[in-house]
Amino acid sequence: MSESNENLLKATVRTEFGKGAARRTRRAGLIPAVLYGHGTDPVHLSLPDHDTFLALKGNANALLTLDFGDNTELALVKDVQRDAVRRTIDHLDLILVRRGEKVVVDVPVVIVGETAPGTIHTLDLQTISLQAEATHLPEHVEVNIEGLEEGSIVRAGELTLPTGAVLEVDPEAVVINVTVPRVTAEDLEADAEAEAAGEAAGAQGEAAAPAEEADEEA
Amino acid sequence: MLIPRRTKHRKQHHPTRRGAAKGGTNVTFGDFGIQAVEPAYVTNRQIEAARIAMTRHIKRGGKVWINIFPDRPLTKKPAETRMGSGKGSPEWWVANVKPGRVLFELAGVNEELAREALRRAQHKLPMKTRFVRREGGDA
Repeated sequence: MSESNENLLKATVRTEFGKGAARRTRRAGLIPAVLYGHGTDPVHLSLPDHDTFLALKGNANALLTLDFGDNTELALVKDVQRDAVRRTIDHLDLILVRRGEKVVVDVPVVIVGETAPGTIHTLDLQTISLQAEATHLPEHVEVNIEGLEEGSIVRAGELTLPTGAVLEVDPEAVVINVTVPRVTAEDLEADAEAEAAGEAAGAQGEAAAPAEEADEEA
Repeated sequence: MLIPRRTKHRKQHHPTRRGAAKGGTNVTFGDFGIQAVEPAYVTNRQIEAARIAMTRHIKRGGKVWINIFPDRPLTKKPAETRMGSGKGSPEWWVANVKPGRVLFELAGVNEELAREALRRAQHKLPMKTRFVRREGGDA
């Protein structure tokens, strides 16, 4: 569960906009961001990049306490733009929340345990939409799949949700599917080829060995 | 081998190699993946070689996703041909891969096995790539 006082970020209000200004902001070790919601005018901010990265690391739904000027606001991350290669944060969209307000967030599904031997699980829903209090958002939803047999299906309605959270997706939606790995004709062909190549290499090695011995004798 | 079923035109201009990937930069289906760090044209043969390398190593124990498709034809003029006389004949099908693109994904195996399987697949690809993992709470 997130607590509001965990992620205090000192923000500054931006006065210049556009890609040139945004690049200057990034060069100065800050992240350009915009804060909106509850019918208020959007506020353009810059946030310290390392602190923001640490606040969002491992928890996309971290509640941020923004301190800018005389204001202190609570915000959730609505959208993150990242550099495709370096994975640094390029821009943040922040949405204002009030203490005690219920919000809908996508929470990652975390799998615990392993399915029965010879089976694999497929995670059909990587995140699940939940409604929860903004100041008490779950970081993840755990699903125990220990010993599940082939054909087992875990549906959204069967998940054990954190206290205070309400499911926002169809309870019949499939979250985890347990199957046996499919063997295709191509796979069998590839195996046969590999075996044939192995046997041929072995036969060549045996044929070459007597010839080498004969050379040594000569 | 991956190949388009039908194309509007037989020959195309060379796809642009500039810029970074706009989408497909996260591991979304599986647990582990390979991400391109450099731009490249990846041919359908290279994709197939990488897939085989991966599936053979995991011995059909997991599930593999191929996130790229070779939808661009590249042409080549025959050897010792004088210039002119039009564009050459289609020779390869390539996927135009930009830096940041996740090429393959893998699920249903442990990290050690996935790393080794994807390392073998990386050797079949024409550019520098890296191993990436799906992070549940990644923003």
